[in-house]
Amino acid sequence: MARSSTTSDVFNAIGEAHRREILDTLIAGEKAVGAIVNDVSMSQPQVSKHLRVLSEVGLVRCRAEGRRRLYRLEPARLRPMHDWLAKYEQEWNDRLDRMEDYLKELQRQGEPQ
Amino acid sequence: MTPRGHGSTVIELPNDRDVLIAREFKAPIALVFDVLTKPEHVSKWFAGPGEEMKECSIDLRVGGSYRFVFVTEDGIEMSFRGIYLEVAPPTRTVETWLFEGRPDGEAIESQDLHEARGVTTLTVKLAFGDAAGRPTRFEGMEASFDRIDDVVRSLLDPSGTVSGK
Repeated sequence: MARSSTTSDVFNAIGEAHRREILDTLIAGEKAVGAIVNDVSMSQPQVSKHLRVLSEVGLVRCRAEGRRRLYRLEPARLRPMHDWLAKYEQEWNDRLDRMEDYLKELQRQGEPQ
Repeated sequence: MTPRGHGSTVIELPNDRDVLIAREFKAPIALVFDVLTKPEHVSKWFAGPGEEMKECSIDLRVGGSYRFVFVTEDGIEMSFRGIYLEVAPPTRTVETWLFEGRPDGEAIESQDLHEARGVTTLTVKLAFGDAAGRPTRFEGMEASFDRIDDVVRSLLDPSGTVSGK
């Protein structure tokens, strides 16, 4: 299934468990780096490294408030994956629907007239 | 996400590498097994409307191979192949699984069947390769959506409640 290279970058970004942990903690809302570090099982340098990757692909946005840097999710960037997963689920469901219809047909044929 | 259609397919993405698909059929286990593993049956349901099945070969024995090829409405050829590692009618098969469009994304597929009170449950597990090859393993990465899907739903649907997962 074809997809653009930017989408691929998003895939790569969320393919890493620690980065998903950071995204999870940002569901609750915008947070400073220190608050994220408190929520996850990583050191501040690790969190900063992952936040940099997430920022580069646009999954999080950063703004400065005084000396603090606040991060928030950019959910629109997840839309392509969401849509893709829905399509994948639909393909499986359609295929198994066809298998079920075919099974029913076989069973009807097998019944005595 | 609930797929439309009359089915009850359940898809789970338990970790970064596996995809689990479960579906119930009101049919005896032996018939479901045949419909899954005999080419004269698979060729009847594998391809969808507007798609044409071009090849459906199955050599159902350990070490035997299978290959399914269908052509989409847009004329694109989609092919899958693999080799059987376990064959235990009517309850289980294990085989390698490869979408030929992505030759580096091989998975091990297991299909397990269980019958209870006239209902046969099919569970398909696709286990993709190790994380080392993941950047090119699209199918392996889709498993990451398990948690991300919650994130997306909770944020894109303002009236929705955040999953407690």
